[in-house]
Amino acid sequence: MAAIETAGLTRRFGELVAVDALDLAIDREVFGILGPNGSGKTTTVLMLTTLLRPTAGSARIAGHDVVREAARVRERISYVPQDMAVDIKLTGRENVSFYAALYGVAGHDRVDEVLGIMDLADRADDLAGTYSGGMRRRLELAQALVHEPGVLFLDEPTIGLDVAGRRAIWTHIAELRERGMTVFVTTHYMDEADQACDRVGVIAKGQLVAVDAPSALRHRLGGERISLQTDRLAPPVAVEGARLVRREPDRLVYHADDAADAVPALLAGLASAGVRVSGLEVAAPTLDDVFLALAGRQDEGGAFDYRQFRNMIRRR
Amino acid sequence: MNAVLVYFVRDMRRWIRGRFNVWSALIMPAAWLVFVGLALPTKFTDHYLDFIAPGILVLTMLSAGMQGGSSLIFDKILGFLNKFLALPSPREAILFGKILFITVRGLLQASVIMVLAVLLGATIFTPAMIAFAYGVLFIFGVLLSAFSTAIALYVEDHDGYAAINALLSMPLFFTSSALMPYSVMPPWLRTIAQYNPVSFAIDLIRSFAAPPVLWASLVGLVAVALLMVALSSFLFRRVTV
Ligand SMILES: Nc1ncnc2c1ncn2[C@@H]1O[C@H](COP(=O)(O)OP(=O)(O)OP(=O)(O)O)[C@@H](O)[C@H]1O
Ligand SMILES: [Mg+2]
Repeated sequence: MAAIETAGLTRRFGELVAVDALDLAIDREVFGILGPNGSGKTTTVLMLTTLLRPTAGSARIAGHDVVREAARVRERISYVPQDMAVDIKLTGRENVSFYAALYGVAGHDRVDEVLGIMDLADRADDLAGTYSGGMRRRLELAQALVHEPGVLFLDEPTIGLDVAGRRAIWTHIAELRERGMTVFVTTHYMDEADQACDRVGVIAKGQLVAVDAPSALRHRLGGERISLQTDRLAPPVAVEGARLVRREPDRLVYHADDAADAVPALLAGLASAGVRVSGLEVAAPTLDDVFLALAGRQDEGGAFDYRQFRNMIRRR
Repeated sequence: MNAVLVYFVRDMRRWIRGRFNVWSALIMPAAWLVFVGLALPTKFTDHYLDFIAPGILVLTMLSAGMQGGSSLIFDKILGFLNKFLALPSPREAILFGKILFITVRGLLQASVIMVLAVLLGATIFTPAMIAFAYGVLFIFGVLLSAFSTAIALYVEDHDGYAAINALLSMPLFFTSSALMPYSVMPPWLRTIAQYNPVSFAIDLIRSFAAPPVLWASLVGLVAVALLMVALSSFLFRRVTV
């Protein structure tokens, strides 16, 4: 019995199929779900946390159905939503104690412990309103961990954090896995998923297009990655054996089975187009490339989402 | 600790720490009593302050209760509600916590009015009357806050909520027996006022000062309050986002 199991899990909003027949089995690992805006990550998390009813299919958490045994499911999970929600007029400790009381966790020891784990012990009695964004995120994690859940759902836990803040969050997540917890985490950041997740599911337009270990996903794309620094937006020069994966104002990125063949041809092609190449880099593909190859770009159809808008503002 | 109390304490703390909220909540009803009770040159009754005090008490609870749903709107927009709904404690606890918070806050406001009314010379507030008034206001507050919190569950944002609130509160307010006795109302208003639930609560408190006490109204008020709580609980239990 896996911690998270879904079978044909589907959610429609009118015509729109936000999540399309998801089949997953996740157990005792950090599972990352990776997808562009509007691909259905949050919708999936909401269904798995009993907050949204599936249109079709089913999902089980630790063997309990998310619709019929919702209360059972809620005893076994913790959920940290995409939006940061800490009470700014309460202290860090009060914020955590509040959840401890609701989870039926007795005593102050556990509250102090999770505050310590999240490096908040020395600020625990300050109002959360005085915390930085990173500290608030860690406070939310502390809240979620206070009852030692079997399954932890994190919807974009590192959004708006600096590099150190992100690393701290992922270090904590890795520790949770060591203790046997199952972590289901959504993210936009491929490099993070690459380093921290045991397996990654790539989702596009509600469909799971690939599930595998990050290294395996990278291998899947194979070949080499050629990045060319250009002095302006270059035309998409076509060369046999190389595929254009990205075109930016000052950069072209190709994938090639054999860079030794492709590079001279590319340089010649660009030269004849009058583009000056100032830098060249050949490397193994990143998960970013895999992601773009698999998921492409998704137009955000559907209604303007206020919550999404707020997140965008926060990211600045 | 009981989950209801946990939610209640959270809301209370948040409210009290926003000092401005507290002052405005306590000054508003006082201003009402002073301006309406003393400044209006009315000669409807012998002792207008004794007449108007129960009306202002109930109107204060009306606005506290109807506005109370915005507390849930905040939790919803800021993402707290999602977290709460995913917790193992019974979901009704969220509702009961709100009902308790909104009602207690309303009762605090009512206390200000009672103290002030006595200071200004109201004669009806015997200890028994005070206890009775608190009881009626509590039931009325539970009824209103269960109603407004359930509405808040289904409204998208503050503007929508404020619109519904105004749409309901204003007519309830002006067509009640709060400001003038039935005897001086035009007939059409009298008919409406008699069936206005706000008048029920007001008349009930007034009847205690001038018996016979309308026990049937009390039973009716309790019944409607229980019904409303049951309905709201049902909605909370099955809600999804
Ligand atoms: N309540 C709703 N009503 C209608 N459409 C919705 C609703 N919630 C989500 N959608 C739509 O479902 C799709 C998936 O949304 P979802 O929030 O799951 O995406 P996401 O992958 O979490 O995106 P992001 O990375 O921006 O958070 C989007 O097209 C969105 O507009
Ligand atoms: Mg999302």
